[in-house]
Amino acid sequence: MALISSLLALRRDARVQKLPPYLSALLVIVGVAWLFALPLDSYSRRTYVSENALLPAQVHTYFGGSEHNIFRAYRHEVAALADSSVADRSKKLADIFRESNLKVASQKYTYSAANRTIDNENVYAILQGPRADATEAIVLMAAWKNMDNDINYSGVALALSMARYFKKWSLWSKDIIILIPGDSTSGSQAWVDAYHDAHDPETIQSLPIKSGALQGAVAVDYPAGPWGHRYDKLHIVYDGTNGQLPNLDLFNTAVNIAGGQMGIASTLQRMWSHSDSYRDRLQTIFRSMVSQGLGHATGPHSAFIPYHVDAITLKTVGDGYHDEMGLGRTVESIFRSLNNLLEHLHQSFFFYLLLEAKRFVSIGTYLPSAMLIAASFSIMAIAKWVESGRPSSVPNPASTKPPPKASDSKAKDKPTEGTKKTDAKEPAPSKQASSDSKQPKTEKEEKEKEDSSTTTTLQSGSSKSIIPKAFTSIVSRPFFFPLALVLAVHLSGLVPLIAFNHFPDTELLALFRTASNLIIMVPIFCAFAIRWSTNMDVARPTPQENNLIQCFSLLFLGMLLSTLATINFSLAFFVGLACAPLSFVRESSDYITTGILYGGLAVINPLAVAHLAMKVGGVEILDVLVKASEGWHVWGMWTQVVVWLVWWPAWNVAAFVVALGFF
Amino acid sequence: MLSFLSFLVFNALLACSLASSDYHERLLLRPLPQSTLLASFNFRSNETSAAFEQQNFRYFPRSLGQILQHAHTKELHLRFSVGRWDAESWGQRPWQGAREGGNGVELWAWIEADSDDEAFARWQTLVNSLSGLFCASLNFIDATRTIRPVMAFEPEGDHRNATNLHLLHGTLPHEVVCTENLTPFLKLLPCKGKAGISSLLDGHKLFDASFQTMAIDVRPVCDTQGQDCLLEMDQSVDMVLDVARSKRPQDNPIPRPVPIEQIECDTSKHYNGHDTCYPLNKGTEPSWSLKEIFGRSLKGACPLTDAGPGSETLCINTPPERDIHIETDGQFTESRSSADTMRCYQLPIGSDFDLVLPEQQMSTGLVLPEPQLYAARSINGHGQERGSAQSVITNPSARGMEVVYLESLPWFMKPYLHTLRAHVDTDSENPVRETYYRPAVDRQRGSHLEIRMVVPPASTLTLTYDFEKAILRYTEYPPDANRGFDAAPAVVRVLSPNTMGDRKGIYLRTTPLLLSLPTPDFSMPYNVIILTSTVMALGFGNIFNLVVRRFVGAHEVPQTGGLKAILQAKIARLTGRS
Repeated sequence: MALISSLLALRRDARVQKLPPYLSALLVIVGVAWLFALPLDSYSRRTYVSENALLPAQVHTYFGGSEHNIFRAYRHEVAALADSSVADRSKKLADIFRESNLKVASQKYTYSAANRTIDNENVYAILQGPRADATEAIVLMAAWKNMDNDINYSGVALALSMARYFKKWSLWSKDIIILIPGDSTSGSQAWVDAYHDAHDPETIQSLPIKSGALQGAVAVDYPAGPWGHRYDKLHIVYDGTNGQLPNLDLFNTAVNIAGGQMGIASTLQRMWSHSDSYRDRLQTIFRSMVSQGLGHATGPHSAFIPYHVDAITLKTVGDGYHDEMGLGRTVESIFRSLNNLLEHLHQSFFFYLLLEAKRFVSIGTYLPSAMLIAASFSIMAIAKWVESGRPSSVPNPASTKPPPKASDSKAKDKPTEGTKKTDAKEPAPSKQASSDSKQPKTEKEEKEKEDSSTTTTLQSGSSKSIIPKAFTSIVSRPFFFPLALVLAVHLSGLVPLIAFNHFPDTELLALFRTASNLIIMVPIFCAFAIRWSTNMDVARPTPQENNLIQCFSLLFLGMLLSTLATINFSLAFFVGLACAPLSFVRESSDYITTGILYGGLAVINPLAVAHLAMKVGGVEILDVLVKASEGWHVWGMWTQVVVWLVWWPAWNVAAFVVALGFF
Repeated sequence: MLSFLSFLVFNALLACSLASSDYHERLLLRPLPQSTLLASFNFRSNETSAAFEQQNFRYFPRSLGQILQHAHTKELHLRFSVGRWDAESWGQRPWQGAREGGNGVELWAWIEADSDDEAFARWQTLVNSLSGLFCASLNFIDATRTIRPVMAFEPEGDHRNATNLHLLHGTLPHEVVCTENLTPFLKLLPCKGKAGISSLLDGHKLFDASFQTMAIDVRPVCDTQGQDCLLEMDQSVDMVLDVARSKRPQDNPIPRPVPIEQIECDTSKHYNGHDTCYPLNKGTEPSWSLKEIFGRSLKGACPLTDAGPGSETLCINTPPERDIHIETDGQFTESRSSADTMRCYQLPIGSDFDLVLPEQQMSTGLVLPEPQLYAARSINGHGQERGSAQSVITNPSARGMEVVYLESLPWFMKPYLHTLRAHVDTDSENPVRETYYRPAVDRQRGSHLEIRMVVPPASTLTLTYDFEKAILRYTEYPPDANRGFDAAPAVVRVLSPNTMGDRKGIYLRTTPLLLSLPTPDFSMPYNVIILTSTVMALGFGNIFNLVVRRFVGAHEVPQTGGLKAILQAKIARLTGRS
């Protein structure tokens, strides 16, 4: 009890009250600095295969010899389909599968997003494991077109020849599904949705044949034409929708097999040359965080990860000496490893940041970074709350209003606190006061009320102290207006969210430009409207209400970001960073300060940041908007939700509070 | 179709003519599409009821007979199965599914008992004894996995003399069937795998098959008056072998890519060249012989087999144009029946026998009887809280089918019966005629659902229901808990029309389901234990310290101290004085 009351007493310490902004800024700085420490050897670990059953690179691979001749023939067949219609293509692919004695089916799907229609067809074949009982399956994918919209000639041909080759083996304990999605993102999404019966049967066909629970999926992306192309490295793509990641064991297995067994180097996050220096590691982390934070689908594997099916894409990059058989043998070995699994992959990490193919940082190490930034908002929210509970810092001696009378119950507690305060503050009587500190409670302290004075005298035992009345007075907080305002702003985020996801592509660019301008005007307009609509004498919202508005807004922000950090660290980190200045702005009576503050805020509004990021990243605004709309309608991406319902309201509230200074 | 009809008639004839003989065995070979071969082994031994009662066993195995007597079991059906019957490619199931079980182990029996409790006690005796006999985990068939079906099964035997029969049924869907189950199976045979067709049964080949099922059926057969009863034991093994895979030698089983010279290329392709080859399907029937396929030679006939017409041991059902060569030193006879599509051989005793079929281009295709029904079942939905099961039953024929659908679900998979929907694509009428449902009791018994339905001609019936997944206790998880939990295959029985005309019935089974339940992180308890131990050690250390330490006032401590006292203590220790 003594500890609690002395802590409570600290609330009134002037030094403590000045602390939160510094603490909050410190947390942001430490949070960012933390990230920069991650690439160091002491904070990262080498990867290891955690699941014993995988036994990567422990089997001989036999894909080669005459299979190469067949592969080349299939590649010619695939190349011949380049210009044919979707139906013809599906029929031909199905025929080739059928010749290998597999069960074949196809699935048509139609999506529409941003007034663009995605209309295509998936073809898939099921290789029934000879002794399997249809309870488990693994998926080999080769999307017809890859993420760069190139036809995946060699990848599809490889899937066809692997299917034929796998059929001869009797050791499969799981079914193998060979899937040729019509395109890289929507096709696999339609298929995996329908596989779990989470699709809309109106636009996406149900799957006529199914197998068991999916245990893993590997996609091949090898867009070399009919005459082949020798590649240098395998680029392993592992980001799923919404920044979800596959089990690290799957990634490690692929790296282990490609590197250890086939001698093919692996790379990730488009780091074509990785010297394993601090700079390269940091860059890898940064790229993977951007990719996770955006939460978009990065390949045919992305759709599987939300269904807890671990999936990766193997993409060939560069010019080197590795050929298609090397990729085929890598896939063969990965499938042999997956086939060994007794259980669903669960051993290794699901949350990690990779520094290079063989080094990673686990969630326990990197999470504090985003958490510290989220905590900075919570600290400021608490500070604002405490501040809102105090009367204006300098009591006005000229005030003619009588100070509010404290109720009896509160009056009982407060003096005790007051006495503690005096103990701490005045060194002279402290020894005596603490030695018989039990005494004052039994003896009833007297309290002198001097109505006309700004100070009050407190007595504890034999010691007396004179303190400002503001320390003991009670201020009630008006709740309704601040809370209603913050909630209204949060809800109004739905408007841009819906608009951006439902406008046709022709108007998206105009919408973006309009919104970019509007977003800066909205807080000023709101501030003006509120000032104008309320009585000018009282100047609502009062500084106290301002504090509460900011308090609630920051509280929401801190809470949401710390929650988000546990599922999508990168998004929470970036949004937290972009919102960090919001903790420190306040209403100013000075027009110049207000103007500078508001200008600063205008630069970090969500759309301006997005625009800047697109400029730096060198992508078209329209492409991003269309992809975002596709992400919303097809992939189930919720980055927009975070932007419009978390980031924008927080920014808007801060800008509103600053804008009040104009009026 | 002709060959199939004759095949059925032939089988029926076989059943009649052999009812009275004491021991009979038969291997029926039937080539299937895609270079596969169905081998159906059937062994039948009879014992008169009187001899059985007096424990006078000749062909009937004593080990099994005594178990049946002890457990008061009047009729027994035991199945061990691996793999799936691919009805789309292979057509109708062997024995119309009557000698087939769901994946893993399935057991059902009619037990004589006065009460349900007594029946269950005897059932427990039976499963525990069979567990020992067949080296299978049958003892895990406890109350939660036992159901008492009401419509799906009917006794095959004559039970006019028996009263108070109880039918109990249990399944183990995740039981892995392997050679240790085959060995006791062969031991039950009079020739024990040393002679006769059972000499072909080799674990390596049997369990490399694409589909295999071992069945044991014991039933009483009486004459029309209900007197003069026999106890008949049917043992059968049905397996579908991939010819190419089975022919691989034991010492080189790896399917390495064949040299390019052995692949027939499509030379009509424009890109065909020395390094590019589009493989052609030869379209010929592959060559094989019994020895190649089974990895062992057939060691003549089992001498205990009854002789006489209609009792040929080895039959092969192929079009008449297929060349078959016989390799043997002994005497054998060949007989043809059913428009020559069925060739049967009386095996020589004491000398090896082999059938050799060369590679051959066939002009007539294989005729496969179409199955009455197709059934598939899958789990929909995702997540670990709830899901839904979907069964699709397709009736390709021109006649409506009345079927019974039986589900035996584990207790932790809790179906919501109000969400049960049966929907036929061609008909808006509700196909469900009768439903029997016995809900699960946590940790006591599983759910039991039986539905009698009518599937209209040329239509597809979709049956769906939602279920909730229970959270298990920490100790209830099996090893490899993250794999998920198997739910037993559903059993579909065709009530009418029953084309077989005997009492075996027509059955088919779906594949099992894999249910992923919420699984705890099993390393967590150890973390908790370590943390708790640390806290306890800290707490205990402090309290122990307080309890045993003697507190003395500062003035009570002897004043002597410093260097002098230390030296004195050292000296005292050295001199041995306290």
